[in-house]
Amino acid sequence: MKRVAVTGIGVVSPLGNGARAFFASLEAGRSGIVRLQGKSHARLADPIGATVAFDAAAHFSAPQLRMLDRVSQFALTAAAEALQEAAGVLEGLDRARAGVFVGTGMGGAETTDEGYETLYAERSDRVKPFSVLLAMNNAPAAWIALEHRLSGPNLTYSTACSSSAVAIGEAARRIESGEIDMAIAGGAEAPLNFGTLKAWEALRTLASADADDVSASCKPFDRRRSGLVLGEGAAMVVLEDSERARARGAAILAEMAGYGLCTDATHITRPSVAGQAEAMRRALASAAMDAAEIGYINAHGTGTQANDGVETAAVKKVFGPAAVRTPMSSTKSMHGHLLGAAGALEFAASVLAMRAGVLPPTVNLRDPDPECDLDYVPLAARSGVDVGAAMSNSFAFGGTNAVLIARRAR
Amino acid sequence: MDDVPPTTLTRLNALLARDFDLEPGVLTPQTRLEDLDIDSLRMIEILFTVEDAFGISVPADATELRAKVQTVGDLAAYIDSLVAAQPGAGTKAG
Repeated sequence: MKRVAVTGIGVVSPLGNGARAFFASLEAGRSGIVRLQGKSHARLADPIGATVAFDAAAHFSAPQLRMLDRVSQFALTAAAEALQEAAGVLEGLDRARAGVFVGTGMGGAETTDEGYETLYAERSDRVKPFSVLLAMNNAPAAWIALEHRLSGPNLTYSTACSSSAVAIGEAARRIESGEIDMAIAGGAEAPLNFGTLKAWEALRTLASADADDVSASCKPFDRRRSGLVLGEGAAMVVLEDSERARARGAAILAEMAGYGLCTDATHITRPSVAGQAEAMRRALASAAMDAAEIGYINAHGTGTQANDGVETAAVKKVFGPAAVRTPMSSTKSMHGHLLGAAGALEFAASVLAMRAGVLPPTVNLRDPDPECDLDYVPLAARSGVDVGAAMSNSFAFGGTNAVLIARRAR
Repeated sequence: MDDVPPTTLTRLNALLARDFDLEPGVLTPQTRLEDLDIDSLRMIEILFTVEDAFGISVPADATELRAKVQTVGDLAAYIDSLVAAQPGAGTKAG
């Protein structure tokens, strides 16, 4: 089997656009969670979310923008950055052996929401002519392929909160097997429109706004945690046959070492210790690694009552005595939950942390839940840490558990 | 296309210039739509805009129409024919 190298990372996030800005915010423990100011957002019980500062007109022309939902704008921007970092990856590439693998949970939800507003609120029949093209879930992946003329597999995964972890894992498998030589893989999500937020609110999984500091509303592993905070953005990586990357003298950011996938098949939302543990075990097995070799875990860590205790128990089950020695943080405490883009953003955070030797913190963790008794890197980043391999957990509604492992390039 | 009333052409030019990032005034009746990268997909969008702006309903299939309508002048003439065919012709077009 071929090895898979990560040779580029692109990020559009509530913590800044560009991988560098993103990681600087993680390192500083900055939060991207703000009060939402949209015209209908005041009707939410807790109008908070992790928003991206994005000047669409600076990236795209007006005719382009009429074809691109916000989710595709993020995806294209992150992909362009990843490709730029992987400088030269397209030279001499057989583009029929290059694929695009994107995860998204809600697709072009903003377009759908606007369409409904036109139809039902404004009682107009004038739905925008490109609504279908903007809203379709595979639009982000399709636009990336069009933009960069990549004519291999073009796949969109929608497994809720693990969508983009699945996308990266599946892309890596195709490179390992020799089916393709290169892939752009990741996720994109733009769910902060009123309709989508209302639906999440109805499910009673969203965090209450912190009374003193809105930006501190997401509190993973804390006794006071009240739920997740939705976020928007995209993260893309360039994955490449490691031999090819070396032959062209590319800077290898990490080796994509392991991917574990399984399904709870027990409950549509309730997480399962057994399912999460199994996904971690499979990832370790595919990387041929022991749990003790993992130097950092980027937790799924949503900040919901249900997840954080279960994830802690699952890590203990898999890591055994090594669990207490393995730092695990939830960066969702800062960038919120990007749903279909979460796995990719957190995989990017894991690779960047490994490279920097700096572990991003779980902010707002001041009063740990007794059930959550691992090392969550509370409050402040930890530097000078030697991380040989990092694990990124993504566990989804619907039960699809996906775990990725990145290893320092050898 | 010399019989195209200037108002329709002027208004169409302004709409196209706005929507396709063109300098106002670069379009002539002879400007070919394909030179503006207007394919059958973009034609759907133009018809939507034109329907709103001229208060008409365009019955044609966009691909069919794109085959028939080659230039900006053709499109303006087509709009005029639809406006003229409307009950109370032209009253909503202002």
